[in-house]
Amino acid sequence: MKSLNLLISFAKYALSFVIAIGLWEAYARFGGLNELFLPRPSKIGAKLYNMFFETGMIYWHFYVTMAQMAIGFTYGIIIGNTLAVLAAFNESFRRYIAPYAVVFNVTPGIAVLPLIIAWFGFGWESKIALATLVCFFPPFINTLTGLLKKDDAAVELFQTLGASKYQFFWKQQLPNALPEIFAGLKLAITTALLGTIVAQFGSATEGVGILMQRFAFSLDMAGSFASLVTMALMGLMVFTIAEVMDRRIVFWRDAKGLERVSKKRSKKIA
Amino acid sequence: MSYSTTDQAKHVSVFRTLPVHLAIFAGLILLWEIVNLYGFEDRIQADMIAPRPTHIVLAMIDIFFIDKTVWHHLGSTFQKALLGASIGTVIGMGLAISATLSETFRKYIKPWIILMEATPRIAVGPIFVALLGFGLWSAVALAALVAFFGPFVNTFQGLMEIDEESEEMFRSLGASKFQTFWKLRFASALQLISAGWKLATASAFGGALVAEFIQASEGMGVLIAQYVIMITMDYAFAALLSVTIFGYILFKIMEYMDYHLIFWQNDLLMLKVSEKRRKKMGVSS
Repeated sequence: MKSLNLLISFAKYALSFVIAIGLWEAYARFGGLNELFLPRPSKIGAKLYNMFFETGMIYWHFYVTMAQMAIGFTYGIIIGNTLAVLAAFNESFRRYIAPYAVVFNVTPGIAVLPLIIAWFGFGWESKIALATLVCFFPPFINTLTGLLKKDDAAVELFQTLGASKYQFFWKQQLPNALPEIFAGLKLAITTALLGTIVAQFGSATEGVGILMQRFAFSLDMAGSFASLVTMALMGLMVFTIAEVMDRRIVFWRDAKGLERVSKKRSKKIA
Repeated sequence: MSYSTTDQAKHVSVFRTLPVHLAIFAGLILLWEIVNLYGFEDRIQADMIAPRPTHIVLAMIDIFFIDKTVWHHLGSTFQKALLGASIGTVIGMGLAISATLSETFRKYIKPWIILMEATPRIAVGPIFVALLGFGLWSAVALAALVAFFGPFVNTFQGLMEIDEESEEMFRSLGASKFQTFWKLRFASALQLISAGWKLATASAFGGALVAEFIQASEGMGVLIAQYVIMITMDYAFAALLSVTIFGYILFKIMEYMDYHLIFWQNDLLMLKVSEKRRKKMGVSS
């Protein structure tokens, strides 16, 4: 019954999607739209088919963008989380980096792009650097808030049970902070993609960002919309990966996940 | 035994911490200056990677007070970002309010919203520039597009989460639908909504700057890029710092507005406002 409901709601979504696209197409066919402004969906679809299956030229750009994003994201979360852990455990460090964090927060990281290109050149390094720069802040703030969040009852319980500091960190503080940490990672992974693409707009020879810019500036609107769809696809991909990891690791967030894991664990013990 | 991350020392006075803050800041700047002077073999390279802080300050004085180039560009970028943020906020809040009021609407926009969330929206930049030209409006459109999401999500979340007991009270007092929306839903959501405004402003700046990087004739994005191309990195840093300073001022203004708009968040302020209102009522009755 439940799966049937799910199927019906999915069909509704699909239908609304098809209707929206159909209206757009029909409107464009009857000359309501300037093709230079908004190409019709069938043309975008044809271009997508061409890029993915006929010439296959998109795969290289896809790979380059994803790889740059992944490296930037990795650096970003390492820096962000390290700073957050240092700040959480060292009161004076936290106090004295606070003003710099504020300054960092109000400067749009993207504004540094020209400087980054001057320092790191036109290759992969500048894209990775910008991705790192724009994505390290959410993990930093989220991990810090997560680690500082205190559950008084739990602290007392650990104290009465005589837990060591080490145990307290691994069994209480870290799991307690994990939901926030993962929320930070989810934010970071989308901003890292954004930073990579913006850096590619600045200067690049490969990547989906530069592909789109080339299409747009040669007024091949179908092509640029097709690259936009590709970017949306990339965004959905990284977002889904983050989401699935979040569900698996922070299983206690919802009742269903909690039940699943506790069943498994109780079986193991038995 | 106590575990770490305590905030026992929270009440350290400003007079004790401020000198340390200043000392750290001065130390960092001094270190930077020394690295620039003695850390590189090549002068050009040194000024390229880490321009001297004193030069940056001189450049700031130049662009703010002597040459006065920065005002025009700052104005342009702020105009684009704030226009974009306002348009984005109106659209985002409008969508969120309609989504809370109508369940069907909520259901049908959900997949589109997820799609919008996952797409790096700034990526539409080149399309907007190609469509709307190199001027003001392509930047405003991009700023609005990236800005609308924060207010949308926050407004939606705030409006959907209501205190059930308060709702019951509203119902038992016979409040109209409009009253319930305005005095209960909206009022309790206001804190989240204002956080959404801040998000919108911050992302609108990103959008405006990206549009300027792609193609524009004025604005901070153009100015920074120009200085970098001329390899006057001290000026580029000065321009970047001016974005920071004015961004900070804007942020502070928004916080101040927040504080007075949502007066019930602060007990002291709430007392003041209720006193005022009581006086008003006393006079009129």
